[in-house]
Amino acid sequence: MNAADAPAPLLRVKDLTVEFRTMDGIVRAVDAVSFDIWPNETVGLVGESGCGKTVTGLSLLRLIPSPPGQIINGSIELEGLDLLSLDAGDMEKRRGSEIAMIFQEPMTSLNPVFTIGSQITEVLRRHRQLSQRQARELAASLLAKVSIPDAGRRLDDYPHQLSGGMRQRVMIAMALSCNPKLLVADEPTTALDVTTQAQVLDQMRELQNEFRMAVLLVTHDLGVVAETCQRALVMYCGSIVEAGKTEQLFSSPRHPYTAGLLASIPRIRAERIAELPVIPGRVPDPGNLPAGCRFAGRCSHVQSRCHQERPTLRSVNGNAVACHYPLGADI
Amino acid sequence: MNEFSSVAGARAVNRRNSIWRKVLRKFLADRTGVAGLAAVLVYFVAALGVWCGWWGTDWADLGGSKWEAVSAAHWFGTNIIGQDIFSRAIYATSTAFEVGVVVAVLATIIGGVLGAFAGFFAGSWIDELLLWAMNVLDAIPFYLFVAAVAYSLAGSPYAMHVAMITSFWIGTGRLVRGEVIKLRNMEYIEAAYAIGLSRFMIIFRHILPNTSHILLVQASIAFVSAIKAEVILSFLGIGIRDGMSWGLMIEESTKEVLAGFYNNFIAASLLMFGLVMAFNALSDALQDAMDPRKVA
Amino acid sequence: MQYVLRKMLTGIPLILGVTLVSFALMVYFGPDMTYQLLGKNPTAEQIIEVRHQLGYDQSFIQRYLAYLTELIRLDFGNSSSGEPVRSLLAKTIPVSLILILPGFLLGHILGVLLALAAAFWRGRWADKLIMAIAVIGMSVSFLIVIIAFQILLCSSDGLNLFPVRGWNVQSLPDYLSYIAVPTLATTFVALGYETRFYRSVFVEEMTRDYVRTARAFGLSSRRIFFRSIFKNCLIPIITRVMFSIPQVAIGGSLLIESYFGIPGIGKATYEAIITGDQPVLKAVVSLTAILFVFVMTLNDILYRAVDPRVSLK
Ligand SMILES: Nc1ncnc2c1ncn2[C@@H]1O[C@H](COP(=O)(O)OP(=O)(O)O)[C@@H](O)[C@H]1O
Ligand code: SF4
Ligand SMILES: [Mg+2]
Repeated sequence: MNAADAPAPLLRVKDLTVEFRTMDGIVRAVDAVSFDIWPNETVGLVGESGCGKTVTGLSLLRLIPSPPGQIINGSIELEGLDLLSLDAGDMEKRRGSEIAMIFQEPMTSLNPVFTIGSQITEVLRRHRQLSQRQARELAASLLAKVSIPDAGRRLDDYPHQLSGGMRQRVMIAMALSCNPKLLVADEPTTALDVTTQAQVLDQMRELQNEFRMAVLLVTHDLGVVAETCQRALVMYCGSIVEAGKTEQLFSSPRHPYTAGLLASIPRIRAERIAELPVIPGRVPDPGNLPAGCRFAGRCSHVQSRCHQERPTLRSVNGNAVACHYPLGADI
Repeated sequence: MNEFSSVAGARAVNRRNSIWRKVLRKFLADRTGVAGLAAVLVYFVAALGVWCGWWGTDWADLGGSKWEAVSAAHWFGTNIIGQDIFSRAIYATSTAFEVGVVVAVLATIIGGVLGAFAGFFAGSWIDELLLWAMNVLDAIPFYLFVAAVAYSLAGSPYAMHVAMITSFWIGTGRLVRGEVIKLRNMEYIEAAYAIGLSRFMIIFRHILPNTSHILLVQASIAFVSAIKAEVILSFLGIGIRDGMSWGLMIEESTKEVLAGFYNNFIAASLLMFGLVMAFNALSDALQDAMDPRKVA
Repeated sequence: MQYVLRKMLTGIPLILGVTLVSFALMVYFGPDMTYQLLGKNPTAEQIIEVRHQLGYDQSFIQRYLAYLTELIRLDFGNSSSGEPVRSLLAKTIPVSLILILPGFLLGHILGVLLALAAAFWRGRWADKLIMAIAVIGMSVSFLIVIIAFQILLCSSDGLNLFPVRGWNVQSLPDYLSYIAVPTLATTFVALGYETRFYRSVFVEEMTRDYVRTARAFGLSSRRIFFRSIFKNCLIPIITRVMFSIPQVAIGGSLLIESYFGIPGIGKATYEAIITGDQPVLKAVVSLTAILFVFVMTLNDILYRAVDPRVSLK
């Protein structure tokens, strides 16, 4: 199934803006971000650490810690319904059942003092009318689905008795349990070793097709995006600087930042990539952003206009690009 | 010093300075904390006046008759033998500061140094020994310990101070130990090692200054604990022996209270409550300002 | 069971430490008792004789070992008033227990409840109110609270509801009337500290990753707070309660019993210290050390029951 088959996007984010009040003043972690996700599609969200990927993901579930954070502008429409207009209880019911999120830290993301069985059944029974026994059976079959051997007995294990990869599988099983339409996966494999990483990603892809859900895959690994995602969003300093179909984005990047990221991917992936490939220069201080293009300080194509005027997203040969002087464009 | 370590050292100093600037800014934004600080300063001036002989000098004089009511001559009235309660309460304020400062400063120094040693040598016999000492002292109930020290130092006016210091350094020691275990693996410490600085130099010049935020907060906690303990110990007869303190005033007032005369009790109680409350507010604000991941 | 024994054995260095401190303070560096035991104008031989009896002519180690041996044999002898120490303990400890227990329990239970409320409504007015009251409670001296409650509840200037002091308990109403003011005072003083401590435990736990996970799967904040978070908090709660037992058992009752003239272990200890009654002190110190090790072991066992990460080995 492809994005084009569906009549309307599943998720439509418009002008999402999130701010944090900190000791150093107000930090705008996400600045007027807009994007769509279509049913059953996998979209990659990439960018350097601290660029606002997690905050974007959390906003979709309205899970920004508040205080200090607040969504100050924008709309998040899931199947046409603006999530930001829902009251707290209504939003609560939709988390897990319509939109769920799994996190980077498999070590700490599960509750250490409850068995994984009780944690999965708790979620199941929250969203579905099930008896304790039914929920337990379902939980066991979910664990089997994510290839946890001896699933029935594993239900009584505590998180610390499982390996990191296993725990992440448990998280995926939990995410699948109530069949959400959209799963936000925040760097689900970053903390895992290469082999496990590949297995978990394969698994996610398979189950995504089976359960027919869309995935927003947050990652800083461009290789993962290339293998997994139909479309990708490149984020820099709280804004999307380039978006497009993965093949096109990778074969002909338009934004100098995207091009820089791609140029520095190591050819041989011997080890997992702990950090994004290095681009010379530093990310500007979030409390003290430049007036023009936020990439200007590190951009090799910078011109004087870049310092004065902030580029907005516009379509360039099929990609959406926020740059005054996109690469390879005939302007 | 070679270039490498001076760069690392300068970075550590810079980090420290910018942290303190932030702490100050955050502290000044905390209204309760600033109010607490102001109140503590007022008390301090009251104590300073006693030390300089500006006021409170007549605390032991029999300047009036028994249980006089509040008047212009005796702002808080007089006690059972006609002494001026106001003078005594003010004089007791200076005693509270003496006890609080002596105990807080010494307990913090001892806790900081021993904690730093334990942390720096974590895992070695030095650490084991210090941990054992801390556990042993923790296992002895505080009042029992103070009484035992008072007994042992029969009649020494400083028995109470010694006992409090011996008890109060432990909390600081444990916290500093934990922090130092974190610090000792940091880059600039390794740099200091690399150029052959002695361990003592490293501990005192490079590690302890980086625990100053803990030391400050712990000192403020020790100050409050000391003042509160003084009152109870003096009341029990194992605290302040010479001079006047809020604890002694309250002890004196228990006889008066039975007879329905409350001035002495109220004066000592309120003054003490005010100082402790102000210090607690100050201490809380300091902790809030210093905890980078503080969740209110 | 084996585990318990092993755990208790690891408490031995601690017991040795506590007895060493008590020996050094109370015996070795304590006041010279020679002349208390002698009549007027003792002869030189008498002095030497008594000093020998007291062991003053022996080395530190020898005397400490003798002290330890007496402790191990639980041979506490007679107090200086001639009463056997065992019977003194048997008489006073139950009084202290029934005196202190209600306030101890109330302080922790109410502290946890108030802290739950404050943490649940974190940042709202209920939280601010509870925490403001807690700071005020923390700032009032125990002594002042006792006296104030006594004036308000026991004196003719106040409500005059309960006995002013003493301990003449024949029946349940007697008991309740005598413990009323001490219990109110201990609870009041404990509340400030306990509430603040427990609130910080809850609030810290609320920032954990698993809480975010639970929220991301739609669990209600009430359920997360009172089930997921609370179970994790049981560990610090248990530790706090356990380790305040030894402090309260002696320290807590010392002031209360001395002030109200209640014949419990706290008052007996206080008097023994003031008068240098060695046998009583020896008994109290060793009991305290044993209680501490016992509490530590119990804490470990409870810990393991609550936290699956540590297994009983
Ligand atoms: N709890 C918070 N308090 C203050 N600032 C925050 C908080 N969470 C995130 N931020 C800010 O938002 C920015 C983006 O963070 P994040 O979304 O976690 O980045 P990443 O792309 O690595 O996931 C951070 O640089 C930080 O300034
Ligand atoms: S707008 Fe200018 S500075 Fe920014 S990315 Fe494009 S060329 Fe570079
Ligand atoms: Mg992130």
